Amino acid sequence: MRQVALVGAGVTKFGVRKASYRDLIWEAGKACFDSLPAVKPRDLEGLVVGSVMPERTAFQSHISSLAAEALGIRPSALSARTEHMCASGTVGIRYAYAFIAAGLADLVMVLGVEKLNQPVTDEAILNMGAGVDREWEACHGLTAPPCFALAAQRHMAQYGTTEEQLALVGVKNHTHAARNPTAHFQKGATLEQVLGSRMIASPLRLYMCSPITDGAAAVILASEERARDLTDRPVWIRGTGQALDGFTLSSLPEDYSRWPAMKRAADAAYRMAGITAKDVRLAEVHDCFAIAEVIAYEELGFCEKGEGGPFVEKGRADYGGDVVVNPRGGLMGCGHPLGATGVAQATELFAQLRGEAGPRQVANARIGLTHNNSGMGEHVVMIYGRDAA
Amino acid sequence: MTYFRATDPFPLESAEQNKLHEFYERLGQGRLVTTACARCGRTAWPPRGFCPECASDEFTWAELPRDGTVHAFTIQDTGLPQGFEAPRVFAIVKVAEARIFAPIVGPRATTVTVGSPVRLSPVRVADDARGSPRYLLAFEPVEAPA
Repeated sequence: MRQVALVGAGVTKFGVRKASYRDLIWEAGKACFDSLPAVKPRDLEGLVVGSVMPERTAFQSHISSLAAEALGIRPSALSARTEHMCASGTVGIRYAYAFIAAGLADLVMVLGVEKLNQPVTDEAILNMGAGVDREWEACHGLTAPPCFALAAQRHMAQYGTTEEQLALVGVKNHTHAARNPTAHFQKGATLEQVLGSRMIASPLRLYMCSPITDGAAAVILASEERARDLTDRPVWIRGTGQALDGFTLSSLPEDYSRWPAMKRAADAAYRMAGITAKDVRLAEVHDCFAIAEVIAYEELGFCEKGEGGPFVEKGRADYGGDVVVNPRGGLMGCGHPLGATGVAQATELFAQLRGEAGPRQVANARIGLTHNNSGMGEHVVMIYGRDAA
Repeated sequence: MTYFRATDPFPLESAEQNKLHEFYERLGQGRLVTTACARCGRTAWPPRGFCPECASDEFTWAELPRDGTVHAFTIQDTGLPQGFEAPRVFAIVKVAEARIFAPIVGPRATTVTVGSPVRLSPVRVADDARGSPRYLLAFEPVEAPA
């Protein structure tokens, strides 16, 4: 297989945006092309767009062609949309990666975009039900928070994880987001604020949850030859893994505090990269809810099973600790525009591994990881490196 | 000018629209059933029209008890879709070998704890666009024996 690198990256401001679905595509495309002046839209051979529900939020299907036309890309090797709920962006990056690694394309953009906020707020919440099973879950009014609340309750009962430890994940990621001008929230948060915020689904409070956010992000992937031609600081894709345990709550492993598919996805990515969890200095993980980040520490191998609570409490997931988790601000701080999230995680790795992350820079970052999930049983992990394999 | 809209998240349950329609018909009668593979005998939850073990698409209906226990639950206070009232109790209910996701309903819903006995209590929701009745799964706390 050929080596593949990120050579360009850009992200829009995340938030409740006064912008259309197409406006967000334009913004992310502009930011991405601005990062790589040597490449014009006509130079790209392909486009993959990660987007979950434009049919519901923008009455729009046929997304990859719409985005290609909007950005002036004329695909000659690859044009596709990926939909894998919250992991759609990273799933798109994997497609582009595989095409380039296989020699089927040399230069491909992956763009993630979602316009979730709606003129009628209730519609935005209703739409979130489309990501769980209509017949056995969504019909009951289920959206994501109660699912992850069940995992949090189990983790607390099994390992003694405390509400305060969950809150500390919120404090950390909101604090990081305050240093990220594209984040949805930029005011930080204190422990008192998080613990005092209103209950969403017990034990998860508002500041332990990601919000409903609009945004888009884009990266450009290149083959080794093109990458070295286009930039002196490519960021290399060193490993990738994806694994699924199940879709409905009833079909997942009985113990919701264990997410074995995440461990399998991470192990596959580590093996491919020839590294272990100890080599990872920064990680963008899918903190859709605080408990998800706590479980991620464990399943990604940053600490032992059950030690996720103390891991955040002792500062081991922050600057100065073992691994800086979510320097961008995570989904809780940046917001979670579904299809855009995985691509935005990649833009942070691009900045960090090139030493361009400004006040968020993780010192001496050479290897980083992104983790994107869609529900508790479906996980995607990418490993990026400053150096080629 | 306006556009017509008629899709909601409630399933289409009638025989014309769903291979599993008998599940809903029996639910409407206060019974709980699930599928058993006609070839290998494996029972499933949720019910399914295709066996993941032997790839058969033939099945029979197996009766489940109406009583179960709360295996896990959470109470949602904020952010429910319009039409659902907070607080809403979402639970995993153990019924025989099945782990069933369902809401706990009724005036004592929020009193449940892990291990609480609950009983099937189907809820009738809005008819589908053709006027067929629709029922959803739900459980209600069982009065503790005096």
